[in-house]
Amino acid sequence: MLVHKEWEEVFRIRLVIFSVLFMPLLLAGFATYLVWQAQALPEEAAGARAALFNTALMYFLILPVIIPVTIAVYSIVGEKEQGTLEPLLATPIADWELFLGKALAAVLPALGLTWMVFGLFLAASAVILEGLPPGVLSLPWLLSLFALAPLLALFGVLVTMIVSSRTSDPRAAYQFSGLALIPGLIPLIIYSARQTAVSLKLVGLEGALVLALDVGVPYLAVRLFRREEILTRWK
Amino acid sequence: MIETNGLGRTFDGTVAVEDLHLRVGEGEVVGLLGPNGAGKTTTVRMLSCLIAPTSGGAVVAGFDILRDPQRVRERVGVLTETPGLYRRLTVRRNLEFFARLYGVEDVAGQVEKYLDLFGLSDRQADPVGTLSKGMRQRLALARALLHEPEVLLLDEPTAALDPESAREVRDFISELRGAGRAILLCTHNLPEAERLCDRIALLRTRLVAVGTPEELKARLFSPRVLVELAAPDPDLPRALDLPFVKEAELSGNVLALRVEDPERDNPLLVQRLVELGAQVKYVTREERTLEDVYLELMEAGDAD
Repeated sequence: MLVHKEWEEVFRIRLVIFSVLFMPLLLAGFATYLVWQAQALPEEAAGARAALFNTALMYFLILPVIIPVTIAVYSIVGEKEQGTLEPLLATPIADWELFLGKALAAVLPALGLTWMVFGLFLAASAVILEGLPPGVLSLPWLLSLFALAPLLALFGVLVTMIVSSRTSDPRAAYQFSGLALIPGLIPLIIYSARQTAVSLKLVGLEGALVLALDVGVPYLAVRLFRREEILTRWK
Repeated sequence: MIETNGLGRTFDGTVAVEDLHLRVGEGEVVGLLGPNGAGKTTTVRMLSCLIAPTSGGAVVAGFDILRDPQRVRERVGVLTETPGLYRRLTVRRNLEFFARLYGVEDVAGQVEKYLDLFGLSDRQADPVGTLSKGMRQRLALARALLHEPEVLLLDEPTAALDPESAREVRDFISELRGAGRAILLCTHNLPEAERLCDRIALLRTRLVAVGTPEELKARLFSPRVLVELAAPDPDLPRALDLPFVKEAELSGNVLALRVEDPERDNPLLVQRLVELGAQVKYVTREERTLEDVYLELMEAGDAD
């Protein structure tokens, strides 16, 4: 129910819709361009081709991290701004339920959009290149998209929500969230720097790392969520 | 229903509420009055388990606020200082959302009931942002009642409302009295408190006084009789040599007298005034208001 309420609220804000839709479409376009460029490279430039493919894949892993920021930042600060947080916290809802509901409300649209624009990317690539480029439906790519991306999205959302619950101003929350997401983006940058195709080993390693973070961060998020401070110190 | 036992809260060394002992029984409306910063909102927040006390405790609807905050929240309806409604959602969706959070079984039925009761059925499909302040406050009150709470905590329910809207909200609160709920009403509006509350608690960080409005008036002010004369006579206060007259003061045409027992003493008083040549037009009892009580007690607090 909290998830539905969040969507009803957030997706009535045009700016949110714009910022949530703009980036995926832009990056899907870039990814298509990169794959197109990679296909045009000669056989001897295999390393450069792999790097371009990896960068294209990286875009689809960045998306689930950055799309939910807008929604997640709004989740706590927006409530406080509207004065709705106090009546909400006065209900019997537990802290973890509140966090889970708000996290899912941000993660699910991000994943849905990422997978949707990946579909668009596949379609565009198929049309432009007259067939799907090799490797984009390989196991490392699919695992990255359907296993690693949700883990990264959850991590990004939880970090953003921690920042959001500790900040009283949405602009500050946006800025701090950007900084807080850097650790989550570092492994992704490694993808684009590689001269060889993304391997199962790399995906597994990163997946294990993010999974470990996803287990610890929710605990931290609930521990750091202090109803009292939010109600009494935020003006 | 509400019983506080030395409830207190400090914020970084600043005392907001101290040693509060207060009881609100079933079907009783108790007004919590006090100036800004007296600790009214902090008290409401502690009783609704939004913040924890730093000393003492309280039992609300049969549950300890420290040990069973979840159960307390299930049984308490809170109207916060600002309505705190989701402005982009419709009236109905706001109520449905909170009904589900409170675990209401018949969500549609309860929402219908309170939309109807608070005259909001016609506006149920409208976003809350389009409602007037009065309607929003009614909606916030409906939200506080959706789960049929045993205890209602109302923080400034008529603040910032125009007189007509404030009256509507007061009428609704008045209707709630009969439902057996314990209601704690924080307000600055003294006539409102006098009209709605069975008992008044004056708070200024500590509890200054508690009692029915009549008890508080009687405690502070001994009865005064006002005699309106046809013409003022400056010598009259001194000439009144009656043993039961404790104080006499002439102000314009009105002679104000403090007497021991007005019912017993007034006939003799009037007789004596007539003997002294005074032309008595009216004899009335001086009416003290809750505002007089409030100001007297708060000024006494300042003097301390």
